[in-house]
Amino acid sequence: MKYLRVMLRAFEMSMKMRVINAFWYLSWLVFPLIFSVLGLILLSPSESSRSAYAILGGGLIAYWGMAYLEGGNNIQDERWSGTLEQLMGCPTPIAFVVIGKLASSLAVGILAFLPGIALAYFGFHQSLNHIDPIPFAVSFAVLTFSFFCTAMALAPVYTLWRWAFALTNGFEIGLYVICGFMFPITQLPGWLQVMASALAPSWATRSLYAATGQSYGHDYLLWWAISIALSCAYLFCGWLGFRLVDVRARVSGQLALA
Amino acid sequence: MNALRIFLRTCWFQYLAMFNWATPIGYVSYKLLLPISQILFMTELGTFATGRSNALYFALGNALQLTAINGIFGVISTVGNERQFGTLPILLASPANRLVTFVGRAFVHVLDGMAGVVVGLALATVMFGLDLSHANLGLLAACVMIISLSTAGLGLMFGSLSLIMRDVFFIANAAYYLLLVFCGINFPVDRLPVWAQVISDALPLTRGVQAAREAVAGGGLNQMASLLAGELAVGLVYAVIGYALFIWLENQARRGGLQEAY
Repeated sequence: MKYLRVMLRAFEMSMKMRVINAFWYLSWLVFPLIFSVLGLILLSPSESSRSAYAILGGGLIAYWGMAYLEGGNNIQDERWSGTLEQLMGCPTPIAFVVIGKLASSLAVGILAFLPGIALAYFGFHQSLNHIDPIPFAVSFAVLTFSFFCTAMALAPVYTLWRWAFALTNGFEIGLYVICGFMFPITQLPGWLQVMASALAPSWATRSLYAATGQSYGHDYLLWWAISIALSCAYLFCGWLGFRLVDVRARVSGQLALA
Repeated sequence: MNALRIFLRTCWFQYLAMFNWATPIGYVSYKLLLPISQILFMTELGTFATGRSNALYFALGNALQLTAINGIFGVISTVGNERQFGTLPILLASPANRLVTFVGRAFVHVLDGMAGVVVGLALATVMFGLDLSHANLGLLAACVMIISLSTAGLGLMFGSLSLIMRDVFFIANAAYYLLLVFCGINFPVDRLPVWAQVISDALPLTRGVQAAREAVAGGGLNQMASLLAGELAVGLVYAVIGYALFIWLENQARRGGLQEAY
């Protein structure tokens, strides 16, 4: 109960601080619009079922961005705000604060799908014509879980090694490629598909698009299982990372030097 | 000669001090990983939509747009970070020549941006077999230089705006990605609505990318002279507006003591 209260407070504070952050508007409004426009202009003349990649693609990119940027930088943000020491000094493990903040990022991240859907409908007269509701809903939940676990794994990594954020930020668009956010990963070269198969979001994205009628097949259970298994592996890595952050902060006192 | 030495030293120090990525890992990340990722993503998206035969159109367009990494992200941060790093009041109090200070923000980024396009073209050649054997390389080089200058002009204008805005990278990110839509990087400008084509005409890159595509096809100067002149003029207009803004905002800040009020 105590930890639940901490998570709820972190969720609430994170929501309040987001409203005055210009980057949040960029993340949920501007980015999805830009990528949806690109996708819709390119994909509209081709067969109509492909426009699902444009309609959902911009939102997926933005949703991922919210998870990896906001979620991954959760601890780092505390350091920049000068509040990390207080948090580390609290009896509550910092992971629970991060979970609350990350849940808030993912909750509002769902908003990022609205601009693309609205633009497609009003600007390009396109919509998601075929959706299998149950596979779609489950796939979306699995995708959210995979984003959550990825961000939980990245949060201590960004905190312990500052260069890690620069590297992943530079490769951000590369992740759009190997997660198949706007086109099927089956068209990529074999070595990239191998990379993609190690990423939990790529399996969840595959099942999400399969539920919109794309020609992936219907192996939903297999895709969900792989995505969840990989996500759990990330979560375990994240747990180890949080232990390391704790050691660097409390035992060696070197966290501020990282 | 002394003035030139001071100018060059100023350019270099401003690049190093105000540009967050001037570290080896940051540089590799944003100048190598980002180009690879962007060219790969847009080319794969484009080929998914239009077929493999059009891959080079997307690869070339995105390789050229990479100059905006420096022209937009670099120049905006070099101007805007004065505020973020708390050095703006010191700059405003200094007797430094304002034009030299202002233009110096973009100088190294123009060179670095050209290097970025060379990297992008090399990547496009390796990854998608871009064929430059029939290209007019001299004119292509001229296109790359002019595109770098014009995007830096836009960066200088947005950078000046960032003196009164809190989130400098909000502008940089939005501007960088909007160029992908409006400038004929991934589809011809005539596929945009008329109102959007008007915006395209007012942006850097639009004419430069079109000229560069002609240079790669082996076109001569006659075919692209007007495009290049237009591209240069657009960049110059933005740079002049940016400088005027810079001076105006400085005066406003001096009069009201508002250097860090925004």
